[in-house]
Amino acid sequence: MSFCLETYLRESANFEILISQAGFKECKKIIEEHSPEIIPVKAGEKILGVRIIGLPPIPIGINEEKGTITLPYTKPCYGTSVVELPVKKEEIDKIKAVGIK
Amino acid sequence: MKKALILLGCPEAPSQTPMALYSTYKLTKIGYEVTIASTPSAMKLLEVSDPEGFYVKKKIDIESCLEDLEEGSFDLLLGFVHKDAAVSYFVTFYHILNTASMALVFEKDSEILEKMEKDLKESTDATVISARAYHNPTPLRVKFDRAIKGLED
Repeated sequence: MSFCLETYLRESANFEILISQAGFKECKKIIEEHSPEIIPVKAGEKILGVRIIGLPPIPIGINEEKGTITLPYTKPCYGTSVVELPVKKEEIDKIKAVGIK
Repeated sequence: MKKALILLGCPEAPSQTPMALYSTYKLTKIGYEVTIASTPSAMKLLEVSDPEGFYVKKKIDIESCLEDLEEGSFDLLLGFVHKDAAVSYFVTFYHILNTASMALVFEKDSEILEKMEKDLKESTDATVISARAYHNPTPLRVKFDRAIKGLED
């Protein structure tokens, strides 16, 4: 079964919130500063089963050593948060495949 | 029939619900089939304001709408923007739909208003209508009427 970010965030405690209820540009800066590698993606690109929301190019942070990705997560009434969570290597490969060249 | 999608933001700004009904009325009048995408709380406000669905015929949860959205699903995107998150949602819907788009930006603080307007203009080619408005929808309605006139012509 493919990974679903919404379900993961609801049912797992294994993730870190780097900032919450913030503006998108602030979150973008945090992802860029926090991650050793950045994959820019289009607005609306499906990442971990959900459409990624924000102002393109949207940075997805990759840390291959830790096996984590860092991404923005937006809800209409709560602004944007930055979440870092562990993912399998194949999910990182999928993100790299949809990155803006 | 042309199809319009009205995208609502967080419902805490009082101008949003009356302007959503008003813009549905205006777009319907000029021949659009209107769908409103919103959060459950914004939808509740619409349902109480329009109990018999006199104005709002089609509505959908914003998350399900985004999930299934495809290029060409709608001919017009009209987004209500009064928070940073609404800027992000509008820009995302804009890039997926790749269609004629209009953002109604409103805020009482002029600096925040300018920032949202700038972010929208940097990330889209949408028509941006902005007004200092919160409780009183009139400044927004007047500018919206002018923009709608452009769609009619």
